[in-house]
Amino acid sequence: MGDKPIWEQIGSSFIQHYYQLFDNDRTQLGAIYIDASCLTWEGQQFQGKAAIVEKLSSLPFQKIQHSITAQDHQPTPDSCIISMVVGQLKADEDPIMGFHQMFLLKNINDAWVCTNDMFRLTLHDLLSARHSRCFLLPPLPNTITTPPDALNIMHK
Amino acid sequence: MGDKPIWEQIGSSFIQHYYQLFDNDRTQLGAIYIDASCLTWEGQQFQGKAAIVEKLSSLPFQKIQHSITAQDHQPTPDSCIISMVVGQLKADEDPIMGFHQMFLLKNINDAWVCTNDMFRLTLHNFG
Repeated sequence: MGDKPIWEQIGSSFIQHYYQLFDNDRTQLGAIYIDASCLTWEGQQFQGKAAIVEKLSSLPFQKIQHSITAQDHQPTPDSCIISMVVGQLKADEDPIMGFHQMFLLKNINDAWVCTNDMFRLTLHDLLSARHSRCFLLPPLPNTITTPPDALNIMHK
Repeated sequence: MGDKPIWEQIGSSFIQHYYQLFDNDRTQLGAIYIDASCLTWEGQQFQGKAAIVEKLSSLPFQKIQHSITAQDHQPTPDSCIISMVVGQLKADEDPIMGFHQMFLLKNINDAWVCTNDMFRLTLHNFG
């Protein structure tokens, strides 16, 4: 198959590390951010490592589990790495929900830090929340489905 | 309410322009990319304006309509703008599908171009 490009290695390594930290002890996430980092969490903006860690630590769940469906990585012209993740998560006993997240990684003093982070639940697909009570297993690959009443969601 | 930050104005203006072009005549999208641009479309990589426009022009649908559910914009340390979009789309008579897309915008010679673009359908959702 050949080696993956370096940005893909760094990006996927970061992704794995991020969600492992998040799921096990998200108060430890501070190390990946700097004072110039920005987080947009469900549309709310947070600036700087301290504010970001405070937001993530205060999220109202005890247990959280992320499952990654797909991840993409690219190098940027300014020698950064941009990563996009789509997946599902389960918080406490809530239904499984879809999410997507974007990270911009920058190498500062030989360490890759996250300068930009954006997180959104996939909330236009209301049926994924309702039906997800039935699905406690990780997502299957290559599963394509669209709920029949998606048309009603489109015409809000 | 106050003025929106400049990166949000530029980002949302780009988003509006991009999907309007895409839905009406996606062969015109070349102007927003440069030779250094990267596109990842459903996991496939494309490098450079020509390859990107070829990919987008050859997508197998005639009609396409995007509907944006949410968009977020941030400034980056290198004076770029990063934008993330979640929405739904309908291609020809196919069922509506969820998608999300990410753009990195850079100002080159007073014009904002897209250097990085990633698109994914939201395919893990069960019905």
